[in-house]
Formats: sequence, structure tokens, C-alpha cells
Amino acid sequence: MNQRTPITRRFLLKAGGAALGTGALAALLSACGAAGTATTASGAGGSGAATTTPTRPAGTTTAGGSMAPAASGAAGGGAAPGSTAAAQGTPVGVSNLKPPKNPNAIKVSWWFGLGGVLGKAIETMAEQYNDSQSEIYVEAIYQGNYDDTLNKYKAGLPGKQTPNLLQVYDVGLRFMLDSKSVEPMQGLIDASKFDMSNFEPALLNYYSIDKKLVGMPFNSSTPLLYYNKKLFSEAGLDPNTPPKTWEDALTVGEKLLKKDAAGKVSQYAMAIPIDSWYFEQWMNAQNAVLLDNENGRANRATKTSLNGESGVKILEWWKSTIDKGVGTNLGRGTSETQKAFAAGQIAMTFDSTASMRGIVNGVGDKFEVGTGYLLRPAATLDQGGVTIGGASVYIMKDKADREKEATWKFVQWLVQPEQQAAWHVATGYYPVRKESYNLPVVQDNAKKYPQFTTAIEQLRASKQTPATAGAVMGPFTQARAIINTAVEEALLGKATPKAALDKATSEINQALDLYNASVR
Amino acid sequence: MRLANGESLVREQGATKTADRTHTSSARARARRETGISLLYLVPSLIVFGVFVFYPLFKSIYLSLFASDPFGLGSTPFVGLRQYQIALRSQSYRDGLGITLLYTLYTVPLGILIALGLAILANFRVRGIGFFRTTYALPIGVSVGAASIVFLLLYNSRAGVINYFLNTLGLPGIEWLTEPRAALWAVAILSIWAGIGFNFIVLLSGLQGIPEDLYESARIDGASNVRIFRSVTLPMLMPTLFFVLIVSTINAFQSFAQIHILTKGGPANATNVVVYSIYREAFFNFQTGYASAQAVILFVIILILTAIQFLVIERRVHYA
Amino acid sequence: MSEPQTFGRRAFQLTIIYALLIATALFLLFPLLYGLAISFMTADEITVYPPKFLPNGLNLTSYQTVLSRLPIPRYLFNSLLIATAVMLGQLVTASLAAYAFAIRRFRGRGLIFGLFLSTLMIPWEVTLIPNFQTVQAWGWTDNYLSLIAPFVATAFGTFMLRQFFLTIPQELHDAAIIDGCGSLRYLIQIVLPLSRPALGTLAIYGFLQTWNQFLWPLLVTNQKEMRTIQIGLNYLLNEETISFNNTMAGVILAIIPTVLLLILGQRQLVRGLTAGAVKG
Repeated sequence: MNQRTPITRRFLLKAGGAALGTGALAALLSACGAAGTATTASGAGGSGAATTTPTRPAGTTTAGGSMAPAASGAAGGGAAPGSTAAAQGTPVGVSNLKPPKNPNAIKVSWWFGLGGVLGKAIETMAEQYNDSQSEIYVEAIYQGNYDDTLNKYKAGLPGKQTPNLLQVYDVGLRFMLDSKSVEPMQGLIDASKFDMSNFEPALLNYYSIDKKLVGMPFNSSTPLLYYNKKLFSEAGLDPNTPPKTWEDALTVGEKLLKKDAAGKVSQYAMAIPIDSWYFEQWMNAQNAVLLDNENGRANRATKTSLNGESGVKILEWWKSTIDKGVGTNLGRGTSETQKAFAAGQIAMTFDSTASMRGIVNGVGDKFEVGTGYLLRPAATLDQGGVTIGGASVYIMKDKADREKEATWKFVQWLVQPEQQAAWHVATGYYPVRKESYNLPVVQDNAKKYPQFTTAIEQLRASKQTPATAGAVMGPFTQARAIINTAVEEALLGKATPKAALDKATSEINQALDLYNASVR
Repeated sequence: MRLANGESLVREQGATKTADRTHTSSARARARRETGISLLYLVPSLIVFGVFVFYPLFKSIYLSLFASDPFGLGSTPFVGLRQYQIALRSQSYRDGLGITLLYTLYTVPLGILIALGLAILANFRVRGIGFFRTTYALPIGVSVGAASIVFLLLYNSRAGVINYFLNTLGLPGIEWLTEPRAALWAVAILSIWAGIGFNFIVLLSGLQGIPEDLYESARIDGASNVRIFRSVTLPMLMPTLFFVLIVSTINAFQSFAQIHILTKGGPANATNVVVYSIYREAFFNFQTGYASAQAVILFVIILILTAIQFLVIERRVHYA
Repeated sequence: MSEPQTFGRRAFQLTIIYALLIATALFLLFPLLYGLAISFMTADEITVYPPKFLPNGLNLTSYQTVLSRLPIPRYLFNSLLIATAVMLGQLVTASLAAYAFAIRRFRGRGLIFGLFLSTLMIPWEVTLIPNFQTVQAWGWTDNYLSLIAPFVATAFGTFMLRQFFLTIPQELHDAAIIDGCGSLRYLIQIVLPLSRPALGTLAIYGFLQTWNQFLWPLLVTNQKEMRTIQIGLNYLLNEETISFNNTMAGVILAIIPTVLLLILGQRQLVRGLTAGAVKG
């Protein structure tokens, strides 16, 4: 309760400055003064009350009365006076976030793009850090999903309203580098001789350009095959050996398919979410690059090889799962496939490691969830591998040195084995450090959810090449939307796989041209 | 802009002209004072619009003449109307306009008709009608984003509720979000649902505003219910219906959240309405200039459409 | 009709009316009721097939999770404050403007009305970033001002009230002015009381539009204590696997105040004009 009074007062002050409308109303009243100002004014209060809050006319009149004088000033002199008062009046109290113990602590703002359990885990980490020391105070701020977060960051760039630390999804790498707003992580690592030798090499490869780390890997995932062990057993398949190849999946799929008396399919073998991420992964699985200039790592990418042989193969196989009737298309995003999988309507699907806990919870005790490596074409089973997904954190350049130092200290803490272990257990993202696996929390968790181990084994089994390091380009989000459309066109039979990819290729090339032209 | 106000403007100008001709200069001064006072009534709104609507609009028009800069920092080359040309020639922009138009045709007439039906139903004075009125208005209380989440669950083609009902009735399920034609309907149905609450409230308050004695005298004349509806209700409701029509059309052109959550413009661009593609262009493709050009074109199109609606329909609307 | 209706016919009519009312209400409410049911389900209950329409029990875990994860009362308070302020501001500005457009005669009326209407047609993408930069330059971020000021004028509400005011006979205005009633007094004492349904509609609409905003509040606030309920809902949604039960619990919590508003508001809408009319 004690929080409310100051807020209301503050609000009234601010609203007084802001209410341009009310200000002009005051002007109007005086303009019509000939008609008798006193009666008109009381009429205004009464009528306002009658139309809005009929039960409490007194309150409305008071509020209106107290606003009017301040407002007339604002209407005349513009909004500036109101704004300065408001800016000074911004308090810090009344928060769920614990205030800094030490008022002189260096404040580090961290914008992140994850909600729910994941967001809570991030906030908890910040709180733990704040409790552990008193020199630095980290304020973790939710900014919507990854897209919203990056857009807010972009909008704040010209006015320098940016955080100290920013979480950006994997594919934002090139954009962050080109924005020239990032303090390269490698410089900080070298200066403080921070030991990176126990980091997962795949992560360092992904987030490095010219062998220099740009963003610090934080939450990392890979794609997995999820399958329904119960349906496998029912179909006479070994529930502990999931298929490994595209070809296997089709044969196994025939067995998993169920049809009712009328010949209508009542249970499909699999559903692949339409998400460019899987397409990219299957390029990597064939050790094929998506972009020129070594997947955009040697230099800015200028062309895509999307419509090459490897790309066409992916779409042909994807389409064949549907044409042969073993697969069904549940559309974009993974929430649709997750739901159908948890309901036992499809036997296999693909999803991120980070979805594991959610899927296991959704399934409950209906069946046992099995996990396997992402399916790959048999011909290239010994090449390539998977690429990481997820996000990393970037330190902003345009800040005071002591803030940057404080941010760097916090980032070092974030990637300590203990923190990464706790993060892994809370969320399902795998730890960025190998030492984390030796910690009891991680080992206990692996016993409880043996599925978690699959992800890291798969990553370590992947060969490190320019292809598996992952593609890098500025307009990556746009490219993903274009690839999704191409996949849909092929699956819906609106175009052949080759034609759909040809069109997508020219669109992506155009986007790359535009981006490169605007960055130089 | 005279077209924007159709009949009433014509009436207005006529009045001013006669006033100019016949009255003395003091009358003219009075007219000027009248105009001045009238403008005073508009000042509060105009200030807010000026700062938060027109300023961004002009900024956007300005931006549309320049090439885009992904970071919004530096100056970029002036390209004149080139981005307008590109947009107008682009097949995908034209497709987007077509889809927007189709989507508007799906949502606006149905949305108004259903809401009108509900309003007529809720206008009966029977016991407990207040409960039903609140119920019909309820969708307005749910943000489109939140509603989209529920509909996502309903539409799931394998595990969703709607297909379950269809299957139970022996009908084949519909691939709501993956079949292009169905997807546009899926989005449209959600939009209609989300819009019903508001249309209903407005139409009901319109119905309530019709004086009871008009009905009384029609009944005394022995008119049938259908006739009363056609000769009393409908004409009296025209201003309200006209308002609902204009606003629904504009809203349809601006629909965004439902598409963002349900389909992201897919499958195969089947629901990629213009506003959504502008969003992608501006916030993901780093093409702020191009997006601005597209937005300005869209603005002009809606403006023309609305003007036509005013010219063609408002002339026939009966005000008191 | 002079002939009194028979009891049977009246009962038949009533039955039809109620049947229609109930059927349409159920149909319309179904998505919400389904959402309500889901908010009481566990994660694995939501994903069974055939789908369940009723939860196993009144499981409040989702609500507990939501309330512990987010400062929901604070978010609701902010949303309430902002939406109420915007609603009041809109009622004032729109009444004034609509009055000028509908009843007063002045040069350029059509032009300015067109200008007003055109604000409705500007795609939101165009205004979002420049407005953010305006608000930022004024130091209004993390401030209620930035959440209220841009919305206190409404072309939509002006248009709606204009439509309503137009149905008030012009003669009433002329007579009032001749009687020495000032222009503003005519608006306040005669036009506004006559327009209660329209004002009520605008109030509800303005309130709910503001209540349901997401992107703008997200953009202009950073502090948790300045944030609104829709940001909270988005937070619940934004996971690798959507926890539908938690999200729905959040949606239900966010709807409760709006439902209360509708219940209170619909009385306003309905009385209005009919209160003055002769009842048969």
C-alpha cells in the first residue's frame, strides 16, 4: 500500500504536464467566458464525471481541477517543462528487483529476450550475482522476444539508449559486428588473459569472425530428433534405436503410420516444423555451405548456394516424407508440432534441445520421450554435423570504461562452470564449458533426463568445418523468412524444390546486395 | 479533401457562400470568429496528432526518398521516388495488396453482419439480457495477441479442437494453417471473432438510440416486423453502420498481430498482407526507406478507399 | 397490433429468443471458456487427444506460477492507470472535436475532418520508431507520460462521436444558441448527456485499446515497475515450448478487469437514450 501514494502523486504531477487536451479545454473555457465561466466550469466537471465514472463524481472533479492550471502552462509553452520534472521524478523503489545493497555500485543493464522459465532463470542469475558481491549491480531487463529485443536495440542506437549487455540470437552475429556498437569480446579476453580453453569449440567457432570472438556464447542448443517410444514399441520397432538417416526414417515411417478403416491416416510417423533452422542444419549435415566466402566467415557473404545440389536434396527428401504419406505438414514454428507430438498424434519430430523440458512436461506419463541425433542423409553420414543455435551476449562499446569493465566481470561470472551448470539444469540449454559436466548437479540431471546427454554428444560428434561453423550474414532473418516460403511452396506443390529454391536464391542474393551496399 | 466529408461539406460550403454574398462585413467577422472558436475545439486533438501522427508520417515520407541504413545512424544516398517504383512494380507487393483486399472482403461484411444479428438479438428486452450483452461484448476485452494463442490451439490440424469436432461429425479435418486458402480464412475467422465485441457494442448502442415512438407508430400502422426493420431500424441505424463499415475496413487493412502469431505471412505468402510485409521490411530486412515507401502507398490506398466510401455511401446516410 | 398475443405464441417466441441467445453466446465464448479450462490444466492434460474440455480439477498451479514469476498486481495497476488516463483524455478531446465537426459550421471543416480520419490509415510501423525517438529525446522513457500522451487524441473516437452528434437535430443547437446558451455549455449540458451510449462506447474502446497495447509499452519502458500487463503476458508466452496453461492463466488474469469494465459499462450503454424515451 505504501507504494501507491507516491505513484499517484507523481502521476498527477506528470499528467498535469502532459494533459495537452485538458490545457486546451481550459483555454476554451476562457474563450467562452462571456457565457459565464463559473457555471460552465462546474458543468464540465459534472458532465465528465457522469460519462465516465458515474459512481464517483467528486474524485473526477478534483482530478480535473488540479490538472487544469498546470496544463494550461504546458499547452502554451510546449511539453518541455513537464518532461524535465518527470525525468527527475523517476524513482527506483517499489520494485520486485532487489535494489542495490551498495548505492555506489556500478550499474550494468542487461537486455534479454527470453520469457517464462528461461527468463526467470536469467533474472535469478542476475540476482545471485548481485548477492555475491556489492561493487556491481546487474539489472536484467526483459525486452520481448529476440526480435523485439534487437529491434528495441536498433531503435535506441541513434539516441545512444542502449544497455551495457545485450542478448542476441545466433544469427544476429553479422549485424552486431556491422553495427560497430560492440566491444569485441576477444580484446577483453586477451587483455585479462581469460582462459577459454575449456569452452565448447563449436561455440567459439560459431561466434568468432577472423578467429576473434565477437559475442560470448551464453545459451546454446542444437536440434534433436524426438520420438515416441511407446509408438515405436507398438509398431514392433526397437524403442531404443531411433532412425539415423533420412532413408531410415522413410522405412521406419511406413511402420509407424496408422490408418483407420476408411483409409484415413490417424497417426503420422513424423512432422518437421517449417523452420529454416532445420534446412540450414541439413546443409551443415552434408558439409555444404549456405553462403560464399566460406559461409560468410572469410568475408561478407555476397551469394547463397541455397539452390545447389545439397539444398535441392533436402527439399526433395522433405517433400517425399509428405508425398509418401509418412509425414504431415503442421506449419511454421514448433508449437504446432510440439502439441501434436505430445498428444501422440505423430511419432517423430525435430526440435531444439532447449525444448526438452517443455516437451517432457507436456507428454507427462502418456509415453516415454526418446531423443536421437538429427536425421541425416546416409551418403554424408561421416561428414559435417550440426551447428549450434541459441544466443550469445554482447558488450556495448559506447559506454564508460568502468561500466565496460564491470560488464566484462559479470560476463566472466556468467560463463563459470557453476553458473553454466545451473543454467543448463534450469533450462535445457547445454553448458558452454566442458567443466560443467563434472559437477554433481549436471550429473544428477543427466540421470533423471538421459535425453539431455544426446545433445552434447551430437555436437561433439560434429566435424568442425566452415559449413558446421554456421553461416553468417547481415540479413539472416530475412533469408530465413525467404527459405520458409520456399519450403512451403515446395511442400504445397506450388513449385518444384529446385524452382522454389531458385527463386529464394535470387531473393536472398538481392537482400545480400542491398545489405552490403548499405553497410559499406 | 472535400470528398472526405461528402454531403455535409457540400451543405457547409453552400451556407458559407450565401453568407458571404448577403451579409455585411460584420457578419463576415462573426463568421471568422466562429471559425476561430471552432478551431479551438480541435486544438487538443491537433496537437497530439501533429506530434505523434503527422510528424512521423512526414518523417516517413522523407525517409522513403532515401536508401536504407540498417543502423539508422548515418546519412544515406537520396534515391527520389525509386523505392516507390520498385514497390509498385514488385510482384510480391502487388500480391500483398491483393491478399489484403481479399482478407478485407472476408472479414468486413461478415463481421458486421454477425455483429448486427447479435445486436438485434440482444436488443430484445427479456430477462437476463444484460448477461448476454456482456457476453457478446467480451471478445473486445481480449487482446488480439492473446486470442491468437487460443486459436493456435483450436486450429492445430492434428490435435486441435476444431478438427476434432469436424471429425466427430464425420467431416474431414481442415489444414487450417498449412493450406493457403484455409490459412487466410483461419486468420479472418480470428479477426472476425476479435472484432465482434466492438461492432456489437456500437451497433447495439445505435439500436438503443432509435426512439421507441418510431416503432410504436409503425406498429400502430400495422407494419410487419420485416417492414419495421427495413423502414425504421435500418435507416435509423445507417450512421452507425456507416461508421462500423469505415472503421472495420481500416482495421482490416491494419491487421497484424493475428498474422504474426498464427502464420507469419505463410504458407507460401498466402496471408502476407501488406502491413505484415511492411513490418518485415522495416524491422527485419533493414529496409526502412523501402518500407516507408510501401507504407505511404498503403496510406494513399486506404485514403482513397475511405474517400470513396464517404462519397458513395455517406450521401445516402440519413442523419437527423 | 391491436389483437393481444396469445400466451402460447409469446412463450414460443421467448423460447426461440433464448435458444438463439444461448447458442450464440456459447459459440462466441467458446475460445475464452476453452482458455479458462486450459488455465486449470497441467501441461500433459492440454496435449491429450481427443482434446479435453474440462480440467481434472481446479488446479491453481498455473496461477501460482504466474503470480510468483511476475509482479502481476503492479502490472495491472499500471495498465489500469494508463488506460484510464487515456480514456479520460480521449473523451475530452474527442467530444470537443466531434462537436466542432458535427454541429459547428466553419471553413475548412471537411478538410480538417479528412485530416483527422487520415490519421487512422497510417500504418503503425511508420509511427512507432519516430515516436520512440521523440519520447526518448524528451526524456519520457520509463514514464507514464510516454504511455499516455501519444494516445489522448483519437480520430476514431472523434468520428464515432461525430456520427452520434449528427443524429441530434440541428434545430436544437440553433434554439439553444438563440436562448443565450453558450456553445460550450450546449455541448456539455445538452449534447453530452444525450450521447451517453456513444461516450460509453468510446470509453470502453479507448480503455481496452490502451489496455491491450504491447509493442509501444515495451519500447518505452525498461523498469519492471513501469511495465504493463500485456508485457507480462508476452513474457509468459516467450519460451521454447509455450506453456499454454501459464499463458492462459495470465490471459485470464488480464481479462478480469476488462470484464468488470464491460459489466459496468454495458449498463451505461444501454440506459442512455432510452432513459429519456417513453417506455411502452
